[in-house]
Amino acid sequence: MFNISKTICGVAVASVLMVGQALAGPYDDYADTTLVVNFPAHPHYDAVRKILPEFTKETGIEVEVDQLPYLKMRERQTLELGQDEGDYDLIAYVVFSKADYVYADQLENLARYFMNPKLSDPAYDADDLIDGYVYNIGFAGGNKGYLQGKTGSLFGIPYGSETSILGYRKDIFEKHGLEVPQTYDQMLDIACKIPELEPGMGGLSSRAASGHHASHAFLLHLAPLGGRVFDDSWNPIVNNAEGVQAANALKTIVDCGPEGASSFGFGEALGSFLAGDTAMFLDTTVVAGQIDDPAKSKVVGKVGWALHPEGTRRGSQTGGFGIGIPKNAENKEAAFLLMQWLTSKKGDKLVALAGGNPSRFSTHEDADVNAKFPHMATFGEALKHADPDWRPIIPVWGKINADLGTTLSKVLTEDLDVQEALDGVAERATAIMEEAGYYTWNK
Amino acid sequence: MSTSTSFNRLTPYVFLAPAVVIMALALLYPLGYMIFGSFREWDPSQAMGESTYVGLKNYITLWNDPNFRESTFVTLKFAISVVTVEMFIGVGLALMLDRNLRGMSLLRTLFILPMMIAPVVVGLIWRYMYHPTLGIFNRGLKGVGLESVDWLGQHALLSVIIADIWQWTPFIFILALAALQSLPRSALEASRIDGATGWQQIIYIKLPLMMPVLIVTCLLRLIDAFKVLEVILVMTEGGPGLSTEILALRISRTATEFRELGVAAAMSNYLLMLLLFITVLMLVYNRVMEHRAARASRMIEESD
Repeated sequence: MFNISKTICGVAVASVLMVGQALAGPYDDYADTTLVVNFPAHPHYDAVRKILPEFTKETGIEVEVDQLPYLKMRERQTLELGQDEGDYDLIAYVVFSKADYVYADQLENLARYFMNPKLSDPAYDADDLIDGYVYNIGFAGGNKGYLQGKTGSLFGIPYGSETSILGYRKDIFEKHGLEVPQTYDQMLDIACKIPELEPGMGGLSSRAASGHHASHAFLLHLAPLGGRVFDDSWNPIVNNAEGVQAANALKTIVDCGPEGASSFGFGEALGSFLAGDTAMFLDTTVVAGQIDDPAKSKVVGKVGWALHPEGTRRGSQTGGFGIGIPKNAENKEAAFLLMQWLTSKKGDKLVALAGGNPSRFSTHEDADVNAKFPHMATFGEALKHADPDWRPIIPVWGKINADLGTTLSKVLTEDLDVQEALDGVAERATAIMEEAGYYTWNK
Repeated sequence: MSTSTSFNRLTPYVFLAPAVVIMALALLYPLGYMIFGSFREWDPSQAMGESTYVGLKNYITLWNDPNFRESTFVTLKFAISVVTVEMFIGVGLALMLDRNLRGMSLLRTLFILPMMIAPVVVGLIWRYMYHPTLGIFNRGLKGVGLESVDWLGQHALLSVIIADIWQWTPFIFILALAALQSLPRSALEASRIDGATGWQQIIYIKLPLMMPVLIVTCLLRLIDAFKVLEVILVMTEGGPGLSTEILALRISRTATEFRELGVAAAMSNYLLMLLLFITVLMLVYNRVMEHRAARASRMIEESD
């Protein structure tokens, strides 16, 4: 009798345990884990820090954040990812790091995590993630080696992504009866009319300082005007008619811009718009929060938003950050759970409401998000035109980009002929590409 | 020879050994690492062992690189300009303030303040002062009815030179003042009795006697001016074009932006060679001057 009772009790306990195990939540196995993540000092990641306690509350997984200025972050990651055992379980990376990290085999391919039924959330809805961002920041090994395509794989998920958008002063446009520009011709025309209509005010504030600022500003115009840096065989075509048109557009913008525009970096260009010294601002969506902040902006409530004007096509920038799991991470599965939670519909909405940049179409259309940030619907529309190939993401791009930026700076400040300048860039880029082996198959 | 004698002979070396070992580890190892790295094609994502040996390729590439040549030229222009002006102003100030005036110690402290500020802060301060609309210079110019100046656009090199002069003249001033105050008073007294004017005292007594200190000061400033990075990085990031991209900035960009550690190491070695050459040149000059002075005093003694 005693034995029978013992057996029944044993079976009952085992059944409870088995049922308990079968009903265990996806986070239970990782409840006591502490993840160390490396994020940039950036408005989006400031917002992320606000929502992390919610993740810990829901999952029991603690998150320790190492937040660094983004250039410093890249340096730290370069050192960390080369170690046998890294300190970071999850990293945010700029799009250029994707090429370096994937090529050096330092980022986890995400396929095996999304294939794992215990880790992958069936309600994740990856199709809702913005295509251009996923292709630009997440994929590698596909078309051109750095985009999506039949040979490509996913190494990261966009998080804190940005596109370009046109901010304009509603009050100034209304005062002078100006139409919001839809095309490049209209935008350049208005940019040069503004200083005449509003003495002391610049038309459009743009980055233009030597190096990556000037290069970024040029590339911003190159894609919508129909240009590319390379053709499909990696020959530089930056000096073709579209390239010249883009450089001329930049020169017009700087010439009609606020005082000292030729030495403006991103900070000065934005500062000029925030101070009310310019009527338009064409750059990243990340600035919206600052424009609406009375502590930083003199133009609160005066700014309207429109799509990046169209040239021969629509083509706004894709940039910002993605998140990925280092190959040498200690807690890869828990890191995936965090990554999935942050980029889920819920996480994306939470971060948007906290002032971050959402990466999903649904978040841009969300009623609560739009009620808090009315510009979000326009930003969502802009994202449909985000061009993942507006600049090449190849390991030698840093060098070509620097040369492009310094040469364009000479165009803006020393009146170097545009065609001559871009021909020089193309010639030097050819030499760099040749040395890097991009023409091996032409021989 | 007894064991104790040879032990006694070794004693100084035993005491020196820890310092030598630390020096070798702290100084020679990184230097050797840099020299070794300069012969390799080396990406920051790779360990040194994974990089490829390329011989002198990095040095030859740089030699033929117009951007590197332009950076070298900018560096020379910057270093020579700032050191020349700083020497003139610093020594001039020291000569003027080498006297007992009321509040002199406070004045001296105020003079050396710029030197104590972190270079990044100096860069930021000057960048805002040069701001086209908000900066104090352009507001001042506009206030007196003059056209504003595009400081960091059209006159970028001049602007960074001015900032560097502001920050580092106190260094020259303080060393020159120390040299002045340690001059033998007897020589100055003698010249005064012989009827030398103030200018004559400066030109024939003070400056020649200060020369060894001034040469070392000049050398230290020159070495520092060749390596300056933060102020220019913050103020102009090397632009417009390459007009303020000095070698230290190019080295930093080559390592971080272009991700070519081997080329950056080769560039650092070129800079090191240039600095070594200047150092040797100045020390030889100093030695020649000392030799000449010693010979002159011997001749005077012999004629007596």
